[in-house]
Amino acid sequence: MPVQSASLRIAMPRLVIDDLEIEVPEGTKVIEAAERLGIMIPRFCYHKALGSAGACRMCAVKFIHGPFKGLQMSCMIDAQDGMVVSTTDEEAVAFRRQVIEWLMMNHPHDCPVCDEGGQCLLQDETVSGGHGLRRYPGRKRTYHDQYLGEFIAHEMNRCIHCYRCSRFYQDFAGYRDLGPMQIANRVYFGRFRDGPLESPFAGNLVDICPTGVYTDRSSRYKARRWDLQRVPFLCIHCSLGCSTVASARYREVVRIEARFNKSVNGHFICDRGRFGYPYANLAGRPRRARVDGEDASLAEAVRAASGRLDQISMNAGPDAVALVASDRCSLETLAVLKRISREKGWTHPAVFPRPDLEHKTRRAVSRLDRRLAVSMRELESADFILAVGIDPVHEAPMLALALRQAFREDAGIVVMDPRPVSAPFDFEHVAIAPAEIGGCLSRITEALSALQADSAAQGKETRRPEAAGPLRADLDSRIAGIVERLKGSRNPVIVCGTDIVRDSTPDRAADLALLLLQLKGRPCLFFVLPGPNSFGAVLLAESPGRSFSDVVQDIEQGKVKALLVVESDPFKNFPDRERLERALDRLDLLAAMDYLPTSVVGRAHIVLPTCTVFERGGSFINQEGRVQRVEPVHEGGVPVHQVSGGGHPPRVFSHEVPGGEIEAAWRTAVEVAGYTNARDNLSILKIMAEEHPGFARCRDIPTSRSFRVLPDAGDRPPVCEETGDGAAPEAADTLEVVLVDRFFGTEELSGYSPVIQNADSEPLVFLHVRDAEPLGIAHSDWISIALEGGGLEVRAGVSAQMAEGVLVIPRHRLLEWQKLGPVPARIPFGRISKAGKE
Amino acid sequence: MLPQVLFQNRKPRRIATMEEYCGSGGYRVLEDIARGKYSPADICRIVGEAGLRGRGGAGFPAATKWMSVPVDGAYPRYLAANADEMEPGTFKDRMLIHVDPHTLIEGMIIAGYAISASKAFFFIRPSYDSSAMILERELERARQAGYLGDNILGSDYSFDIILHRSGGRYICGEATALLNALMGKRPNPMKPPPYPTVKGLWNRPTVVNNVETLANLPHILRNGPEWYKGLARTKTGAGTKLFCISGKVNRPGCVELPIGTPLREIIEEHAGGMRAGSEFKACLPGGASTRYLTKDLLDVEMDFDSLSAVGHRLGTAAITVFDQKTCLVGVTLNLLQFFARESCGWCTPCREGLPYIRDLLWRIENGEGREEYIPMLRQMSRDVWNAYCALAPGAASPVESLLTFFEDEVREHIRLKKCPFSRPR
Amino acid sequence: MIPEALKRELLERTARAEHPREMAVDVMYALQGYYGYMSDEAMEEAAEIVGMTPLELEELATFYDFIYRRPVGRYVIRVCDSAVCWMEGYQSVVDHLTSRLGIGLGDTTADGLFSLIPVCCIGYCDRAPAMLINRKVYGELTPEKIDRILQKLATGKPAAGEE
Repeated sequence: MPVQSASLRIAMPRLVIDDLEIEVPEGTKVIEAAERLGIMIPRFCYHKALGSAGACRMCAVKFIHGPFKGLQMSCMIDAQDGMVVSTTDEEAVAFRRQVIEWLMMNHPHDCPVCDEGGQCLLQDETVSGGHGLRRYPGRKRTYHDQYLGEFIAHEMNRCIHCYRCSRFYQDFAGYRDLGPMQIANRVYFGRFRDGPLESPFAGNLVDICPTGVYTDRSSRYKARRWDLQRVPFLCIHCSLGCSTVASARYREVVRIEARFNKSVNGHFICDRGRFGYPYANLAGRPRRARVDGEDASLAEAVRAASGRLDQISMNAGPDAVALVASDRCSLETLAVLKRISREKGWTHPAVFPRPDLEHKTRRAVSRLDRRLAVSMRELESADFILAVGIDPVHEAPMLALALRQAFREDAGIVVMDPRPVSAPFDFEHVAIAPAEIGGCLSRITEALSALQADSAAQGKETRRPEAAGPLRADLDSRIAGIVERLKGSRNPVIVCGTDIVRDSTPDRAADLALLLLQLKGRPCLFFVLPGPNSFGAVLLAESPGRSFSDVVQDIEQGKVKALLVVESDPFKNFPDRERLERALDRLDLLAAMDYLPTSVVGRAHIVLPTCTVFERGGSFINQEGRVQRVEPVHEGGVPVHQVSGGGHPPRVFSHEVPGGEIEAAWRTAVEVAGYTNARDNLSILKIMAEEHPGFARCRDIPTSRSFRVLPDAGDRPPVCEETGDGAAPEAADTLEVVLVDRFFGTEELSGYSPVIQNADSEPLVFLHVRDAEPLGIAHSDWISIALEGGGLEVRAGVSAQMAEGVLVIPRHRLLEWQKLGPVPARIPFGRISKAGKE
Repeated sequence: MLPQVLFQNRKPRRIATMEEYCGSGGYRVLEDIARGKYSPADICRIVGEAGLRGRGGAGFPAATKWMSVPVDGAYPRYLAANADEMEPGTFKDRMLIHVDPHTLIEGMIIAGYAISASKAFFFIRPSYDSSAMILERELERARQAGYLGDNILGSDYSFDIILHRSGGRYICGEATALLNALMGKRPNPMKPPPYPTVKGLWNRPTVVNNVETLANLPHILRNGPEWYKGLARTKTGAGTKLFCISGKVNRPGCVELPIGTPLREIIEEHAGGMRAGSEFKACLPGGASTRYLTKDLLDVEMDFDSLSAVGHRLGTAAITVFDQKTCLVGVTLNLLQFFARESCGWCTPCREGLPYIRDLLWRIENGEGREEYIPMLRQMSRDVWNAYCALAPGAASPVESLLTFFEDEVREHIRLKKCPFSRPR
Repeated sequence: MIPEALKRELLERTARAEHPREMAVDVMYALQGYYGYMSDEAMEEAAEIVGMTPLELEELATFYDFIYRRPVGRYVIRVCDSAVCWMEGYQSVVDHLTSRLGIGLGDTTADGLFSLIPVCCIGYCDRAPAMLINRKVYGELTPEKIDRILQKLATGKPAAGEE
């Protein structure tokens, strides 16, 4: 009986599967409909994100009634009204058993030595499919394996040719160096030659492979699935906040897998999030508190810190004590720091390393509201995307994957950025300097709104709007093209980064988005923020506008005599290393709380070790204002195998966990502030709610669910200020320095992983071919950059697909870019030369 | 004298020239089209009335396929002529090109016109390189004469044919796999929807026709549908058919006969009968992917419907004849070796099931057979019907029919622990 | 490296095609004609001409029967082993060739002249047993005929084609 709501006319086919009836949206495959009923039809090649292939033949069911009859593949057929399907029909069961037998013909008896054992789809379906005794009398075909890089092991004998890997790698992710070769039953999935996989999403192969062909090398042989403490988790390696599953065993984080999130990352994560966890297990992590170079108990160190801070407060005033945090601090930590700084009168926390980052993030957060915010999954349905000041693969990798899905549905994508952006989708690259981006956005907004006004005025000639500033003439046609495409789009989105753009750009992006909201009626704004909790840092900022630069100035001026650095490494981001060292030397007290062995921890008078997010859980807000909270994975302490150097742990019995004397940063902060008595009665949720009303919901909503903390309407657009955004380059013989992030090598946490350190390629400094040629520099040449603070020797990357007049320098841990000194806006050509060494 | 349509210009030991083709009425239909005598819809209608069924093995009505191109379908559109012909026993398309290539060329232009295509690909297998060179030469001649290219014979219609040499695999003969091969992708089949006539090459409407099908077109249009239907020996058949005969007959070769000619007549009269000392045991009536046809059906009319009425398939009408000295287990094993090797590797039943079946057949043939292999073979030849394309079901046909009609022979192998026949040398 | 003239010709042909990938097999055949087989270097060169990655081209090269990814002799003797030829003398042909050439199936003679590989039905079932040598077909083979063919090839004079 057709089911159609008379008023809505939406077709919802109703069908019967195993005597259970269900109604599903049109276009749902039978295998999906069954899953909604709780019936998991066996499958290998079918995957929700990859779609149907029809290769494995495992999802065969009996179609009894309807346009199809007999055994058919449930993943290939749309559910239709009146269908009657049986998954338990004898013929279907027997056929599926036969399919398993065929797949097992060549499958090695690897289970005892295969990491996939216990979490293997083939195992599960072989057992449930009823195939047991081997009767195939022939020989098994075998393969040689390839080296595919440090992250993934390759064991092709286990392959059942479901083609999931090539469909993910090529179709879904858009990379071209892995695929199916050969023919018949010797089809081989691999690369043309041995070598690391090029895709930054290759780690997902480990998740999607139904057997053990691709396994996670970082966790190889460490545990069986049932040995692990596995917890739904969150990635904190960028501002996207993808969902993961974290596994631990014996006080060590063993492995990260992707977790499905219908709003953020879908089914996948990037390799930085997957393999960036070793920082949590470092042998060199600060585990013991230290006072003046000597080990101390945590309690002693807290007392010492507390005492000295109070002393300095008394002598020089409470504002002589300053707090520094970072955007990798959890909401709990930031809320507590805000509270104690206020109550103790200490100078409020500086979270952002640079004033411009603070400004841009604050503006972005204030402009984002419920009407405008697009989730990353919603981005996949956009039909036109204008991405400004962002290099997706490097800054927010999963964003690149989301953009690719939009591209696969024929979305047009324009990227406005000075870098030699490359991405796994086709896009129009408008390679302009950061200063020009804001002007282009204003220009587009004006032109669009003029078009709107004109069409309201019925047929008047489109008047050319005033330029928002002097721009190169050749940009006109590009901008006109973008305006046309925005006009003609149904569901456009503006993506805006906050790292390299000018201060006013986030506002201009938001202005354009507001106009698009009026015109199209759909959410259309997506910011990428600097860090995993930048959004939270803005919400909990006690002193908007304060950044670490202000702290350094205060120290130099003698206003600040003590610094409490909480889960932050200023050495990583402050662009003048020597100045920073001098400033820190001036301090009477440098106290550091961290779980990373940073330079600050190395020089601090008092060190208070803290827990990683794996050990204590925490809440973070992603770029979209989504509050996501996680519980701890393990209780913390020195990993068992480190306690005894690999041998049996010492046979000394104690209630203490080795290295277990660590606390969550927020707890230690509370104690350092002197509230020891209140510690055990502390409700962190209460504090969070008090520090920002948006967090009141944390009490009511379980950790498993996220919620967005966005206002109904964002800030009004600011009055147009004179920012000089459209200013043309000042001097023709200089290059503008643009400091950037890279996928590997610049992100703080993943940078502590030895494997990632080996994997990240040599940092390259990029310049346009027309800037390089007069200097006689070719791609891959070593160059010298002479700076105030010394020379920088680095390899050059030369590209025609980037802005002219810029020098793109990665904030790579191997590159002493901090020698740049006070970040010069520009470097004269004369300072750059081809170096002697090859 | 039997009516020769496709082979009417057949010359001993050489290829008919374009002039000879024109002399027998060639390119007159194209001239009529250029003059505006037919619309694309007219062509479809006439060919539909003539009852032309595809000659590539599937027997799908040609005009029906053309008319499934949506009226509002995208442009440009493409035609692909399938000369991949790798079905063992089949060589009619090679013969056609070597006898009268222009009947094929004109046929392609007509088909292209019927679907408003601007370009055609002639997909030819690597072992037919001599045929490819002939075609390249004759295509150039046709271009010079104005039959191909922009504004054919002064009309609005522009059409050209590109020769594409395949890298060589049986699966490329499957229409959707052929399209993938043309596009430079791995030639796995692509199961519809969408159908290639809606979204084929580069997502444009594409029709794939066998070359014999196409070669019929000028003649149908020249002489009319009634004439074409009248050529057949059966009531529901139409036209002539190129029959290939190979195996234990005196004169293996390719002959053009009315469709529906009885099998016995083909073997005894046109193929010179069974060789001395050979008696008919069985034949594959339509290429390697058909069932063994036994002696009791020797009088069957070789047409689509009449064969399916008795549980067999016309396929490519490539008749391979086996005699009483031929071991059918050996033949079946050989066929399965072919199919297993040619499997594209996409789906499980074909990729893994065919080697399994081959292995069991090998053991039976080589004295290692066991009783339990017989039900296993029966079951698996049924199960591989649930594969992604028609290769595996085709491969299953000889196996299933071996067990149905010659089970004794199979049991004899098992009982004796060896093949009771002498190996072919 | 292939000669400049050949590269230019292939680039021109590829530019004329509606989609460069169309030309993948044609370009591989051309390079195979020059090099004798598709070495890794040839694969990379061919990939560049048609705008594909070497892996993408490898997906095709290893699928097809007539693209050789390992060195083959100057004359690749492909002997048909499908049903009709198998019945009509395949084994004798192979035995004769293996004894004349001194190599087994899948091997190449030491002088690099001949490789011996089976092939599936080449469509000459009316002239069985048949073999294909570098795209020329020879049917109705007898030991004498085979010897004549090998002789002509070995002395550098190509034997007359059978068509």
